[in-house]
Amino acid sequence: MSKNTSKPSSNPAAAQFSRPLRLSVSQDLRGLLAKNIGHGILFSITFVSVLAVMAIFYFVVQESVPFIFKGGFRDSLSRVTEFLTSTAWYPQKEENPEYGALAIIVGSLYVTFCSLIIAVPIGVLAAVFLSDIAPFSVRQYCKPIIEILAAIPSVAYGVFAVMVVAPWMQKTLGFSTGTNAINASLILSVMALPTIISVAEDALSAIGREIREASYGLGATRAETMIKVVIPAAHSGIIAAVILGMMRAIGETMVVWMASGNSSRIPSPWWDLSQSVRTMTATIAGELGEVPKDTDHYYVLFAIGLLLLIFTFGLNMTSEFFMTRFKKKSRGL
Amino acid sequence: MQVRIRQAWNHLFTILSSGSIVLLVAALLLFLIPMLRKGIPAVVFRGTVEFRKMQAELFDRGDTMALQKETEQTWQARQEIYTILDHFSRGIDTEKLTDEAKDLYRDYGQILRYQETPKEQYTELRGRAKEIRDHLLDAFESTDKDEIAAHLDAIEALRDEAAFSGTPVEKMFTMTGDFRKLIATVDLSKRDIFADELEVVKEELYNLFGPRPDEQTPQLAMKRFGATRWDVAEKHLTFLVWQEKWIPSDDGQTLVAKQVRRDDPLEGSFAGTELAPLFSLTEKILKDTMKPRFTLYWQYFIDDSTPGHYFGGVGPEVLGTLLLTLLAMCFSIPLGVISAAYLVEYAGDNLIVKIIRICINTLAGVPSIVYGLFGMAFFVAYITKQPGVLSASMTLALLVLPVIIRASEEAIRAVPQTYREAAMGLGAGKFRSFLTVTLPAAGPGILTGIILSLSRAAGETAPILFAGAAALAPIPDFGGKWWLQETRALSYGCYDITVGDKLAMMVPHKQFGMVMTLIILVLCLNVIAIVIRSRMSKKLRGM
Repeated sequence: MSKNTSKPSSNPAAAQFSRPLRLSVSQDLRGLLAKNIGHGILFSITFVSVLAVMAIFYFVVQESVPFIFKGGFRDSLSRVTEFLTSTAWYPQKEENPEYGALAIIVGSLYVTFCSLIIAVPIGVLAAVFLSDIAPFSVRQYCKPIIEILAAIPSVAYGVFAVMVVAPWMQKTLGFSTGTNAINASLILSVMALPTIISVAEDALSAIGREIREASYGLGATRAETMIKVVIPAAHSGIIAAVILGMMRAIGETMVVWMASGNSSRIPSPWWDLSQSVRTMTATIAGELGEVPKDTDHYYVLFAIGLLLLIFTFGLNMTSEFFMTRFKKKSRGL
Repeated sequence: MQVRIRQAWNHLFTILSSGSIVLLVAALLLFLIPMLRKGIPAVVFRGTVEFRKMQAELFDRGDTMALQKETEQTWQARQEIYTILDHFSRGIDTEKLTDEAKDLYRDYGQILRYQETPKEQYTELRGRAKEIRDHLLDAFESTDKDEIAAHLDAIEALRDEAAFSGTPVEKMFTMTGDFRKLIATVDLSKRDIFADELEVVKEELYNLFGPRPDEQTPQLAMKRFGATRWDVAEKHLTFLVWQEKWIPSDDGQTLVAKQVRRDDPLEGSFAGTELAPLFSLTEKILKDTMKPRFTLYWQYFIDDSTPGHYFGGVGPEVLGTLLLTLLAMCFSIPLGVISAAYLVEYAGDNLIVKIIRICINTLAGVPSIVYGLFGMAFFVAYITKQPGVLSASMTLALLVLPVIIRASEEAIRAVPQTYREAAMGLGAGKFRSFLTVTLPAAGPGILTGIILSLSRAAGETAPILFAGAAALAPIPDFGGKWWLQETRALSYGCYDITVGDKLAMMVPHKQFGMVMTLIILVLCLNVIAIVIRSRMSKKLRGM
């Protein structure tokens, strides 16, 4: 008894450890197990994102398959060909409804490219301004403005397009309808701008000081440095920015639904922006609420969704490719 | 020379770049200013007595005694206008007179039958009454003054005090006398035009003042009140006073539309009639009849709306948006933060992690409408079996998941490595050092990400279109299964109120008011996030 009590006091430092310093085998195992189980749980929670992507693809494909593969091979081939090449979109017809989505696909690409034509020059120039021209204090005020521009809900932009821009276009510019391709493109370009600016600015800032200084040292002006040296060096990043902006524009629903006029035909002549167009997203949003489930019309809307998903997935992969290339390059420099 | 060109080009480039930012700011202002300017009148405006009546009746709000007094005062002021109108419309609105005459004749027939008059006398009296009636009706129909005078004289000839005294027929004689007086002042050739114009005047007066006190209360709530706002009242006043007339142009070739006052001595429809004073009178005493008062209707943000969005506020929409976003956050915050923690602290650089990253990027790039499709095909079809709050919020949770993961990842990565090393040096394990040191240090950053995704979720419309948002759904019943009920949401409401709702087209301030509510909500969330971030970066710089 006395031996036991005296032993810790003989070594006061050791008495402060409540646990033995060396673990027994079972404790060691338990610790390992706990670590691995914890690791596993964390991993499986993180894996939810992967599952979600797979589920999105699975369910969109599942619902569009009945449209694509109906009847024999020849049948389905002709249906898909009609879907992709015909402009006759009459899904509500009693007999022989027609599902030609070409005009819709073209409409989507049309407003997307129009918006990019507006947004890319402005976006790249704004990125140059933020990265190279603006002093720090100005940059600090510009960033929140861009963020707010990005944060405004698309439906609010849509209301703006319908209630403010459309009447103005009709009255002042004398268009026959205010909801048309140019209206949708303008608003889309405002929505794509924040994405383009922030990614492009990151890319421009990632180009090192040395490159700029070398160019200035050779006597180049700022414009020459930017256009001939920095922008070419950051071109992969800028391309990625443009693609991300394009994704934003092509996937946008509410604005184009409200502002594009929703008439499913290809504008003719092709440069006439004052005509109404219809996009894939708007078609889904406008028609899915009204079709009964498990009909061809229902399935074909999912097929449009699948097409949209493939588009954005492809664009995403391309931007990823350019991003990795850019990162590798800027690291190598 | 070449140097100068290069310099000029350089300046041009600088101006263009700065100009693009200016353009951006201009775009933001061009958007925000009209939206807020048109939306604020939904909350701050000059409310009339009709507005206070509506608030008292539909929302049990306001001082009843004061309102009672106010109502009486306004009725007294309005009485004058109605007196003029009634007096004039008797001559024009012959349909009313015709009905009156027919009723009198029928009453008389019944009285005769009650009194059990002998058959011969009955036929004779009734025949005479009928003759009088027919003359009266012909007089009302006719537009020729001489013809009318002939009819009225014929009636006078039939006047027989002894037989008809105290019966309805006597009233017919009074009508005859009144009509004779009226005819003297009215231009009969214009009676049809007068009748049409009078309809417009009556309708506009109804729009201004609502139903008259002696009228039956209408079934529709929107018909029960006049102009609730001073700007609307002024609008209806212009409709009341001004008319559009097609007048030959100066060269006499074409007709041009011109706005003229209805009591304009030259061109107004009611020039020189008994109704003419009504317009200037209404104009003069409109303030007394409406009693406009500056109103801050802050309850707009919590009030239910009825019918449609005509009266009331956006309470159900705000509630629905809060429900959807908060529920979505319940799903996505744990998932997102844990995923971010795993990706930063535990994951190596192997293939699976690469796949996970690609998937998160893909998830961020999926169009919002495809989320809507997925929500419909999976959450609604397999999990909740019907569109409702739960399925909509799960769809939204999936949508904001990549946003939260990215923001949290960045925040956790920004915590200096020295923090972790210090914690580990003190003997904490990896898990404990993350929980007690890294996570609190990354907290503000994660919070910023959460607030931003909250604003994203509040603004998204396309994902919830088919998963649980409805235009005029009832307020969720919190006693029952509220998570299976469809709900209103600000974002979907904005779409519906501008494009889908016919009734709301009549109240543009309500349309812009709802959009303003959504914009203010999103802006507030973003400003909070920006403030947190700037304070955080100051703190980091201070270290």
